[in-house]
Amino acid sequence: MDILVGSIAAGILIGMVLALMALGLTIIFGMMDIVNFAHGEFLMIGMYTGLLTAQTTGMDPLFTLPVAAAVGFLLGVICYYGFIMFLLRGPMVAQLLGTFGLMLFLRNLALLFFGPQEMVVHKGILVGKSFDMGMGIIMPATKLAAAGLSVVAFAAVWLLMHRTKIGKALTATSLNAQGARYMGIPTERMNALAWAIGGATVTIAGALLVNFWYVNPYVGILFTMIAFAIVALGGFGSVPGAFFAGLVVGIIMEIPGIWDFFTYTFDSDWMAEVPMTSFKYMWVYAAYFVIMVVRPRGLFGWKR
Amino acid sequence: MEAIKNALDFSDFPRNDMIIALFVAVFLLFFPLFSKSTFAMATVIQFLMFSLYGMGWNTIGGYGGQVDLGKAQYVGIGAYTTAVMLIRWDIPFWFSMPIGMFFAVCWSFIIGYPLFRLKGHYFAIATIATSLVLKDIFEVWDLVGASRGLEISPIKYVPPDFLRLIFNSDIYYYYFILVFFFIGILYVNWFRKSRLGFQLRSIKDNEDVARSLGINVHWAKVKTYAIATAFVSFVGSFHACYIKNLEPEDTMSLDLSILIALMAMLGGAGSLWGPIIGAAVLIPLKTYLKEWLGAMGGLLGIDLIIYAGIIMLVSAVEPKGIWGIVQKVRRRKRA
Repeated sequence: MDILVGSIAAGILIGMVLALMALGLTIIFGMMDIVNFAHGEFLMIGMYTGLLTAQTTGMDPLFTLPVAAAVGFLLGVICYYGFIMFLLRGPMVAQLLGTFGLMLFLRNLALLFFGPQEMVVHKGILVGKSFDMGMGIIMPATKLAAAGLSVVAFAAVWLLMHRTKIGKALTATSLNAQGARYMGIPTERMNALAWAIGGATVTIAGALLVNFWYVNPYVGILFTMIAFAIVALGGFGSVPGAFFAGLVVGIIMEIPGIWDFFTYTFDSDWMAEVPMTSFKYMWVYAAYFVIMVVRPRGLFGWKR
Repeated sequence: MEAIKNALDFSDFPRNDMIIALFVAVFLLFFPLFSKSTFAMATVIQFLMFSLYGMGWNTIGGYGGQVDLGKAQYVGIGAYTTAVMLIRWDIPFWFSMPIGMFFAVCWSFIIGYPLFRLKGHYFAIATIATSLVLKDIFEVWDLVGASRGLEISPIKYVPPDFLRLIFNSDIYYYYFILVFFFIGILYVNWFRKSRLGFQLRSIKDNEDVARSLGINVHWAKVKTYAIATAFVSFVGSFHACYIKNLEPEDTMSLDLSILIALMAMLGGAGSLWGPIIGAAVLIPLKTYLKEWLGAMGGLLGIDLIIYAGIIMLVSAVEPKGIWGIVQKVRRRKRA
């Protein structure tokens, strides 16, 4: 029982960070129907920003969020005006491959600057500490803080989207870009803003994630695929969908732990022999496939 | 008979194109005679293999407009079937290749049938997902060597082994793949003028209109996907015998899938020469950049940065590829 509850709790915690990561992708997709393959690379840049700011200034990694957010904001704006704006005129094939090119570009740029070795955060207020919550749930403090801050950031974006004038303009642009332009909304600038918000949220998620996850230049593609799964499950373009789907995908990623629980409960030999930890991410991809086949709109989707 | 006549009929291209194509064909035929460099030879073999991959992708992705980013899974199926059969049961290439093709086509039906209900991005990402699932399975499956991979040791066989396709010298592989390269061109040339080819192009232009004209859109896509798969799986089988060393990370990676799609797009998707032009530009660029720049100490990844820059430039500036530029120039001349 302990293992089961512990796995699910860990899944929910990581799921909150993953939801924040996927938020940017879903906003960008909802706005301009473009799939950003470089999303995981944005996350990687956020992770490096958090880590390196903490190392050079001696701050705690948790307090590097504003720096990461600024970097992500700028990155989004630069990417939009420098590249994506031209890409939007082309056909879909070009958009897919173009953002893939962006991904390769950022990844190898990171490789050039930071080298291929893995880096981890070693020191910080919360690193190494953990809370015992009873029922066998031991929560690393870093994960708890990351999850909490993710929820705060998520709520901030939700408020921005639903309670401010800018948010209304963003929503209008995503519903009908041409109509929004006629109403005097600068849609180009709104698109750029969507990229900026997307970039900022994903780099914040990266700076949170780096507290308990290694970072190397190749880490991006895994998170890109996870983000796609979350966005597909929640529905392309849906903000609350992304949050719940993030939790679900977080739990899916903990399937090996849940599998262990059933192995012990039933005490079965064949279950112990399945190399479940090697399949850790396969379930995420498989879930994506099943969702796309069964319900392409996703759970909360409004766009087809 | 009609089909062969159609396949050999290139008359809808301008005569200048055909003269250039003839020169290239003659050059490729005599290339091994005057090139002594094994590196150049390997590069040209890579070029031929990737043109075949690209031609396969082009049938569904170019003519049909269905962007498939999971071709590497079929490369993997073809390559692993050949390698496993050769190593475990000593079944020669000529038998294992059709079997691998059969497996790949079956798999393409299994995933293609549900997936072709999706459109655009959704389809593209779903193909990536299936490809990654298959790769993860191959990485733990003991029969196919798990993540250690498989190695065909050439010592066991007497080198010029035409049945098993084990040779000492690259020249045999070169002419083998060259023959299939020409067959591939003829096949695609026939395909684009066949009933299915016209159906696909109408689907690409407007799916709803195509359906209202009585075309079974879903079935046409699934059929073409199987054709594309057969191409890719064949080259995968050849890859197993040529490289002799298979790992899921090389054979089935996402990068390979993207590279295949990218080449066709760089050359010009939906045209006969597009994938070939794309491969001719990209493969030498990639190998030589890696050779010159990758070897330099401290500049890790700079070759891929340049390569990514080219991808970004092409997709932003001229999404119709090199063939699109050629056609634009021609149209301007005529006007």
